[in-house]
Amino acid sequence: MADKIKLFVNGEEVEVEAGKNLIDAVGAVGIEIPHLCYHPALGADGNCRMCLVGIEDGRPPLVPACKTRAQEGMKVLLDAKHIKKIQRDVMELELINHPIDCPVCDQAGECKLQDYYMSYDQAESRMTVAPVKKNKKMDFGGGVVHDQERCIICGRCVRFLRQITKTGELGIINRTDVARVNIFPGRPINNRYGINVVDLCPVGAMTSSDFRFKQRVWFLKKALSVCHGCSKGCNLTIDHNKEKNKDDIIYRFRPRLNEQVNGYFICDEGRLSYKLENEDRLTTPKIGTVERDLTDVLASCKNEIEMSTNVTILLSPNASLEQMVAVKALAGKLNASISGFSDGYIITGDGDDYLIQDDKAANRKGLELLGIDTSQQGFEQAIAEADLLINFGNNLGLSYGADALKTLLTDTKTIACATHDSEYLAGAKLTIAVRSYSEYDGCVVNCDNILQKFNKAVTKNNELPTICEIAAEFGGPLTSPAEIFAELQQAAPALKPYQPATIPAEGLNLNDSEAANVTA
Amino acid sequence: MSDRSQLISTGEPFQFDKKRDAEFERLAKRYPTRESMILPALWLTQEQEGWVSQEAIAYIADRIGTFASKVYEAATFYTMYNLHPMGKYHICVCRTLSCWLRGKQEIVDYLRDEVGITPGNQTEDGRFSLEEVECLGHCGTAPVVQINGEFYENMDVEKLKSLLATLK
Amino acid sequence: MEVKILSAKFDIKNSNKLKTAKKHGAYQTLEKLFSMEPAEVIEEVKNSGLRGRGGAGFPAGVKWSFLPKDTGKPVYLAVNSDESEPATFKDRYILVKDPHMMIEGIIICSYAIGSHDTYIYVRGEYTTQVKVLQAAIDEAYKAGYLGEKVAGHDFRLDVTVHRGAGAYVCGEETALLESIEGRKGQPRSKPPFPAVSGLYGCPTIINNVQSIASLPFIMQEGADAYKAYGTEKSPGTHLFGISGHVEKPGLYELPLGLPILEVIDKVAGGVWKGRKLKAVIPGGSSTPVLLPEEAATTTLDYESMAEHKTMFGSGGIVVLDETVNIVELVQNLINFYHHESCGQCTPCREGLGWMKKITQKILKGEGSMADIDLLRELCDNIEMKTVCVLSAACTMPVRSYLDKFRHEFEAYVTANEPLVAEATEE
Repeated sequence: MADKIKLFVNGEEVEVEAGKNLIDAVGAVGIEIPHLCYHPALGADGNCRMCLVGIEDGRPPLVPACKTRAQEGMKVLLDAKHIKKIQRDVMELELINHPIDCPVCDQAGECKLQDYYMSYDQAESRMTVAPVKKNKKMDFGGGVVHDQERCIICGRCVRFLRQITKTGELGIINRTDVARVNIFPGRPINNRYGINVVDLCPVGAMTSSDFRFKQRVWFLKKALSVCHGCSKGCNLTIDHNKEKNKDDIIYRFRPRLNEQVNGYFICDEGRLSYKLENEDRLTTPKIGTVERDLTDVLASCKNEIEMSTNVTILLSPNASLEQMVAVKALAGKLNASISGFSDGYIITGDGDDYLIQDDKAANRKGLELLGIDTSQQGFEQAIAEADLLINFGNNLGLSYGADALKTLLTDTKTIACATHDSEYLAGAKLTIAVRSYSEYDGCVVNCDNILQKFNKAVTKNNELPTICEIAAEFGGPLTSPAEIFAELQQAAPALKPYQPATIPAEGLNLNDSEAANVTA
Repeated sequence: MSDRSQLISTGEPFQFDKKRDAEFERLAKRYPTRESMILPALWLTQEQEGWVSQEAIAYIADRIGTFASKVYEAATFYTMYNLHPMGKYHICVCRTLSCWLRGKQEIVDYLRDEVGITPGNQTEDGRFSLEEVECLGHCGTAPVVQINGEFYENMDVEKLKSLLATLK
Repeated sequence: MEVKILSAKFDIKNSNKLKTAKKHGAYQTLEKLFSMEPAEVIEEVKNSGLRGRGGAGFPAGVKWSFLPKDTGKPVYLAVNSDESEPATFKDRYILVKDPHMMIEGIIICSYAIGSHDTYIYVRGEYTTQVKVLQAAIDEAYKAGYLGEKVAGHDFRLDVTVHRGAGAYVCGEETALLESIEGRKGQPRSKPPFPAVSGLYGCPTIINNVQSIASLPFIMQEGADAYKAYGTEKSPGTHLFGISGHVEKPGLYELPLGLPILEVIDKVAGGVWKGRKLKAVIPGGSSTPVLLPEEAATTTLDYESMAEHKTMFGSGGIVVLDETVNIVELVQNLINFYHHESCGQCTPCREGLGWMKKITQKILKGEGSMADIDLLRELCDNIEMKTVCVLSAACTMPVRSYLDKFRHEFEAYVTANEPLVAEATEE
């Protein structure tokens, strides 16, 4: 635990964490100091002047809270008349050259300028002269569209690209009130994290070409999730909405703070992977290539299982821990071999030293945790002896070419549970459409051995079964979430103190708990 | 200041000539960081070409090993870097306090009425370009005019007239 | 009234050349310097009471003593020759007329603070001046006053000229450092102060040209000789620039403490064309204006200026005669500071542009009393809310004009037609 110190805000004593600046220190205990340019991931810049506060210790009458470290006994003035006036004055100056086009601005509803206007200003405009004209709808590349007139020159975007991605595509050009953010001609935003500038922008100056004009943000329902785009498991907020007479659709993924996983950011591929949840989904079960009722397909599946003499079960490295546990139990029941072979999910050299990993699977560590073999040799040996493969969502098309797959499965029939239509399903005798991760709750373990919980976001009009349900249908012994979780707790003792709903938001570091177990 | 973000592309790659190249390397040794060379490199470019093109900014950034956006920032922040070609004689008339008090406007009016040139523009033959600039630090000998870097103090319309006549 | 300490060689032909400068005493303090301990040098400068001549007036020796000891990092000296405050043109004379006095001062300061690398930041507009300075530096290198062994002593000193490129704000010392580091001249938040973390994150002293150039005299003649000039709290001499509506504008070296009106009359020949005095700007365009009756009791020193709610500033005196249109003058000032705002802090970036447009509106005859009030209020709303004092350099004088000449603004508002058509728009 960090050291605590006591200081006074508006005369009232508060206990805060030591070593932080005033914005973060008192923000953590629920006292807001308004700020636009400061962002904890980018450090204090001090240009917006919104966070000026008084300190009663003989310092200059005003100090920027972002650049002032919280100290024991400090007396911070936040609600004094003259401080309130500064906040209003700065707001007024931020707004004089701002277009105030909230009705057509994507940021409306999550705009700091708008929020602060409501909290700190609410004054009539006194601007009676022509505002500064700047450029609108500039394509900065990388899926980022910029409106120079909305920009308040806080420089968060510029700092992000210089400090975090170190690609430096943006700069603040000119000086005075004609200063503006721009790319250098011919060198657009070109890195794998660029769209984070849209989230960082406190106003509507940076918009995502993907999300622009799609939804008003206040209609969006939010769910806490974890990205399944790679093994990093970056924390997400899924923004989705079911419009009248339409299906529940995801409109965007946004990064969600988790200091021990992804910090404040996510990569663009992960961010845009929400589309995979909406598009090209498998929605109806099939026998061969013919669409059939789920009941019929399940009956056929059970029949195939009964008739088979040797079953191999294949898990996806993207399956949740719960699904893995349920399927593993099914394998035990059926006396089947179980594999998690999925080398095709790994793209060697694609990862970087920041968030993106080579392994494009969310839960390979989960397979490891449950002792499920992932070797190619093990899988191919099992298949050679099997007359039936039950594939729970593993895209074998990533690991094998079409011909090789066909050869491999020459003497093996396939029952496939899948979220998406895919070429590898072509040879399946029976196909069951199942939910994808935005449609169920679960846990995954990331590349750093951190176990994280994610929540169901979307409820489709045609709600599909989950892999856990299918496993139970096929005769798996674990038939309820409670049974599954209890089994999971056996495999991951770190989970023992928790229920699904109480798993800490920042996740459980299994390395820590293993270490703890060793010493104990 | 007016917007300086619009850069002009020559369509030709830029590089320092031999002399500037050597000067660049000599100066670079005087600073502990490469980025300190941004301003000197922009000056060398302007000395060589008379102005700073989009290609020159890219060249400087790559030569120094920094982001083009940073050189772009500097080139547009500092108003003495010409971002487009100037007239053969670039006339800067100081417009600030003491020069204003002592008649800079008569000089600007003369240039407009008799030479046909207004601030920010140049004559059709490209002989003169004109800019009204902020304080040039010659307030005791105001008004002052600077032409291609040379200062002409205690200026008035008559003196300017005979001066311009010598600039062919 | 004039004295010749800093300007002793100004009237000598070729005084910028080493040979001539040496004949008149240049570099004669070095033997004494290297026989002293650095701490003794700092003490001597402290005793002289020399105050920073850039505008802020902070005691130079005290500034040097803020340097932390033994950080393991190099110590830098940056000489501020950005001189861009309207009505200020003193450092330029030193650069051109007596650059070796400044180089000698740099050696003295560097030795005192233990610095081996100096950057002289010269404003970009000083095109011809920088050539003279560079030639003097080259001569000093050749003669062994700069380089590996300064004057034969075991002390390395390299001096590099760094040219600005048109930005007033680079006269602010941390903006100047940013500019040397290759960035936009945007002032840094303080603390940390440059003495602790300045150029390249290292301890740095930034002194104005004139402060540095004052050091050889202090070394040669001693602190007491320096203090013999000026007043007790504002000792020494200063290069005053007198411009505007006087008969003999120019640069004059005077001891501090002289009555401002007497100087205007006796040194600068009085208000030109036999006209009446309307007002005096005492220390550069950013200092609040003085009415004749206020100027009558003002003397040219830091204390008297403060008593009259204005500032000594850079010592650039501007005389305004009775014909000056104050509203136009205010517009000229706001245009300048708006043009020079670095664009970093919201209040200055947005506010000065707004003030400029409101003034234009008033000048066009389209303003109202509310606009005058708004202009006045904006001065308060913007001032001291920013990282540096550039915005205050605008709002302090503008406030003084609004308070002392409000009737001239009101005349524009109450007139049915524009009084003057000249509202300059960029």
